Parts: sequence; structure tokens; C-alpha cells
Amino acid sequence: MIARVTGGERRGEVKVPVEDRLFSLVLALLATETGLLKSEILSSVRGYAERFDSSGANANLERQFERDKDDIRELGIPLETVESPDRPGDNQALRYRIPKGQYELPDEVRFTPDELALLGLAAEVWREASLSADSQRALTKLRSLGIEPHEPVIGYAPRLRVRDAAFEPLRQALDRRQAVRFRYFKPGEQAPRQRTANPLAVVLHEGRWHLHAFDLDAQEPRTFLLSRIVGEVSAVPGSSFEAPPPGIQDQVIADLNALRLANAADLAVTAGSDAEVRLGKRAALRDEDAGVIRLHYTDAAIFADELAAYGPEVRVLSPSSLRDAVRSRLQSVAEAHREGGAR
Amino acid sequence: MSAKRARPLKAPDKLVFLLSFVPYLLEQQVVDVDEAAAHFGIGEEEIRDAVRLIATSGLPGATGTYQPNDLFDIDWDSFEDDDVIVIVHHVAIDDAPRLSAREASALIAGLQYLSALPENAGSASLAALMQKLTAGASATPSRLAVAESEADASLARIREAVAGGRQLEFDYRNALGIAGRRRVDPLRILSQDADWYLQAYCHTRDDVRNFRVDRMSELVVSEVPIDEHPEREVPDTLFQTSDSDFDVVVDVAPEALPLLADYLADARTVEVDSRLRVTLRLAHVHGLKRLVAGLPGLVTVVGPAEARAAVAGWADAGLAGYADAEASDRLD
Repeated sequence: MIARVTGGERRGEVKVPVEDRLFSLVLALLATETGLLKSEILSSVRGYAERFDSSGANANLERQFERDKDDIRELGIPLETVESPDRPGDNQALRYRIPKGQYELPDEVRFTPDELALLGLAAEVWREASLSADSQRALTKLRSLGIEPHEPVIGYAPRLRVRDAAFEPLRQALDRRQAVRFRYFKPGEQAPRQRTANPLAVVLHEGRWHLHAFDLDAQEPRTFLLSRIVGEVSAVPGSSFEAPPPGIQDQVIADLNALRLANAADLAVTAGSDAEVRLGKRAALRDEDAGVIRLHYTDAAIFADELAAYGPEVRVLSPSSLRDAVRSRLQSVAEAHREGGAR
Repeated sequence: MSAKRARPLKAPDKLVFLLSFVPYLLEQQVVDVDEAAAHFGIGEEEIRDAVRLIATSGLPGATGTYQPNDLFDIDWDSFEDDDVIVIVHHVAIDDAPRLSAREASALIAGLQYLSALPENAGSASLAALMQKLTAGASATPSRLAVAESEADASLARIREAVAGGRQLEFDYRNALGIAGRRRVDPLRILSQDADWYLQAYCHTRDDVRNFRVDRMSELVVSEVPIDEHPEREVPDTLFQTSDSDFDVVVDVAPEALPLLADYLADARTVEVDSRLRVTLRLAHVHGLKRLVAGLPGLVTVVGPAEARAAVAGWADAGLAGYADAEASDRLD
């Protein structure tokens, strides 16, 4: 490596925009077979070279490089580190590169205009910032194939919101395979309890987000509702665990479906009411003459909340635990709103 | 797929754009600036800026000095005179980049949600598309999934009416509990999470309305084509305010505040005894009583008094049902 001749003179030039520096770094790392040393990158790649000090004090620039590497990897670009066979363990001898074969979209991954239209709609689904940004970035990458999508599927505006604050930190920990710590308020317990767990999958089932995780205290897999997580979710620094099998998320959904089918409630619904129409559409069985429907449910506490909203339009016949749960909810609502009552 | 809205991009997004724009230009060979802008859904000036950046980018080369042969080059005359982009020399990249695990999983989960649409039910092409996204990712996509929900049977018929531009008739019971037959011109199917809505011009009410699909019954797709409604604006949101709306002050547990986001009258919150006092705007008290009873222990109405009384009355009526049932049990 020949040291930059012009290095010193170019200092103090107009600042190179971040995307320009990142783009130059990606180009340089894609073009190298053997990889570049950090010193080569900092002294020659545009965006670093202008600020490189050949006398050796480049701590800020090195930190910048570390952050840039993370940002590039976050985008799915396979930035590799290669150890020197002669000097294993020597950080100064590490080489960096982006192997082209793992960078490029495989040839068999090509999309039809219809598929692209559907993907455009799938991206529109997300009303949550990080999922929406990820989807839009994916679409930008696919646009590079130069295929014009068919007209978007008209007449549809599907939307999915994520209202649980725990979602984004959990999704990050899931990707980084880091253990998480959070307080969880389980119905029937007096107060939230701290849990430490390895996140394995995050799934939306019956309109609610669930975390499937290996509980490190109980030493067992558990499924948590994100809405019952109280306060912050923090990643356990330095923790790591092995990747769960691919498709574990489908198994979690299958288990939740089985749980749902195992729970059944018989409900009396008032004829001609909102409850009759809306709950009736979900009924597994119905006795129209008696005004009784049978519904499956996944979680008793959540189903009891939903039934309480229907007030007098629905009455739980069985199971008695669900009936009691709905009654106690109505009781607490009535008491909180009584004339001059406790607020 | 071309995005309609232009939003300011952050540096990583700009990088993704540059890495995608280059293979696009190589594939197209000759492309107009406006065509490229439409394809990527961004402004023409942003496209020109990107072209200038790419044209001066490249590799540091053996000398570390970015010599001309190590740089991209474009046909500058075409670009400056005709607004046409032609790359005449390129380095380092030829092909589209892979998706990240997160990007692939966001699209896959979005597709899973779309599987509730009638035309996608059990669709093999949807599964194949998810497979392709998985193959196109640089690592196993995040273990994120959306369970297939049982689509309301009415949805397929509504879809048929929207696509065919035909009128729909159905029985509808609104939140007030008032039922009636409606004749509508369907305009758009909208969903929010697990709930599906039809936006339609209602001939019965002579106005554009939102209908909950799960409140419809006895649905019939008529032979009558829908009317044109160019003067009517189809609202982009489900919740619209009207002059007859009323305000209610409630105390809400902080963790439940996101659940009330659709109803907040303004952004003001005041902390009162570890709860947040906020003002909600609702169409009528019937919606309020259902909302509050469905969040037991989390939301309490502070005022006005009629609203408090309506909620108390709703809960009491629910309790009375159980008391009556017990009384009749004893008679048996």
C-alpha cells in the first residue's frame, strides 16, 4: 500500500456526505478479493482519506469506521472480516471485504409484475415505523431489477398497526440473538415480575403480538403477550444464543391455534344485537332458537375484556371461570362510574 | 410499486438507493431522468444528484487516488443536454443487492397479513413469493410471522362488487344498535389490524360512509352498476370527525393510551394520580360505553356526567343479566 500523497493537503476540504462515504466504502470492499486492511481503508477510501492523519492519531476515524460497518451490515450487506493466517488475533492485520456472491441477489430470485404489485401492497400494510422503513428499503432494492409492477391492487387499503412499545426492542433482540429482560404482568399475579429470556419468535395471532422465548429462569420455552410487558425491554449486554430452527414462528402459531381450539365458551347473545352479529360471525357452533353460540378463544383474560365491552348483549353460560371474569370486569367498570364513586 | 410520497431519506436509505440505482441503470442502458424518478418514486432532482455522485465515485485504486479508470463514467452530453442517463463505464457493482433479514421478514409478514384477502386465500403463489424473498435474503429472515386470520365470508362478495363496480345491498346494524337495509356503491376495502371495513357511497344516507364488515349480513351483489362520485372525496382515514361529535374527559392507565389513539381529541395529557387525563372525541355515547367497558380497570370516564352514567348503566345492565339468570336458575 502506497501512502496517500495528497492526504495532508486535502484535509479541511468540504465534508463528504455520509452516503457518499458509505457508497465508496461498499464499492471498495466489493472490488477487493483478498480484503483491505483498516489502515488501507482509512487512508484511501473517499470520506475517510480526507480526514486521515498519516502521523497516526486516527481514533475518531476508527470509531467512524466501526459505526459504518454496523450500518452497512444492518442493510443486509455481508461485510466480512478475514483474519490474517500469519497473524491470527492481530486486529491490525484483519482484512475487510464484501464477497460478491453473497452480496448479489441470486439469479433465480426474479419477480413478475404481478408479484411486485403484491409486494407493494404488502409494504403498504405496515403502519409501524421500523417495519415500514424495512419494507420500503426492500422495495427499493427490488426496483433495481427494472421491472415495472402491474398497477397496484386497487380498492384495497390494508393496514396493520403495532401498538406495543415492546415490539421494536424485541424484534432487534430477535435479529441479534440477544437475551432480553423485561417485567411481565401475568393475570392473577399481584405485581409484574422480571423475566429474562432468549427471544425465539414474534408472532401476531388473533390481533395480538406474542413473544415466544426461552425463559432463562424457568429454563423452559414460554409465550408472552407483548401487551402485558410493563416498561422497557432491555437487551442483556454480551448475551447470545443459538439460532432457533427456521420456521419456529409457524410452530408457535400452530400451538396458539391448538390452544384456541381447546378453549370453548358458550354465550347467550341478545337477538338483533351487535354481539349477535359480530360474535356470531366467529361462532364455531350456534343454536339459533336458544340464542346460544359457541366460540373458541386463546386467552381467557383477553376474551373476558372483549365480552365485557358488549355489556348486556352477551352473557357467558360456560365456563364458569370466564363468566366470573366477565362479571368482575363489569363490576369494576360499574363501580368506577357510579355517581360520586371512586374514580 | 412506485411510491407516491417523497419523504426525506436518511443516509442508509440513500446508500440502498445508490446500490439499487446503479444496477437499474446498467440493466436499462439508456434511461430518461423522469422515467427513473417515476420508477423509484423519488424526485427528478434527487435522481440527478445521485447520477452526479455515482459519476464521480469509484475505487481508490492501487495508488489510492481515484484515477479516472477506477471511476464510474456517464455520457455527460446526454445527461446535461437531454436529461438522459447512460453509464459508459462501471466498477465494482453489476447486480441488485440482496435483501436484509429484516427487510425480507417485513415483506413476508405483510404478505401473511394479505393472505386474509379473498383472492389470496390458500394461494400457492403467495407461498412461492415468500420462498423467493427468503432465498433473496442475505440471512435467514427474522422469525416474525402473522397468523392467517379467518376472512369474513362477506369479504369475497364485497371484493367481487368492488372489482366489478356493482352495487351492494346488506342489512347493517350500526353502533347505536339501529338496523336497516342499505344500498351502497362500494369504493374501497379498508382494514385496520383484525377489523375490516368497506368505504362506500350509501344511497340510503346519501353520503360516503365506513361500514364494519362484521356488522353486515344478508349481503347481495346487485346487477346495478355503481354511480360515479367524482365530487365525493373518499377519506383516507377510518375515523373522521363531524360536528355532532362530543368530547369526553377520561383517565387512562399510561400503558393503555396507545389503544385510545384513534379517539384522542388533542395531544394534551395531564398526569393525575399516576394516570393520564386526556380528552377523547367520539361520535356518540354508544361507542364510548363499549370502548370503556372493553378496557376494564384501564379507562375511567371523568366527565361529563351523562357519559359516566351511560358507562355505569351499560355495565349495570350487563350485571343485571347475570343476576336475572341466577334468579331464574333458582326458580327451576
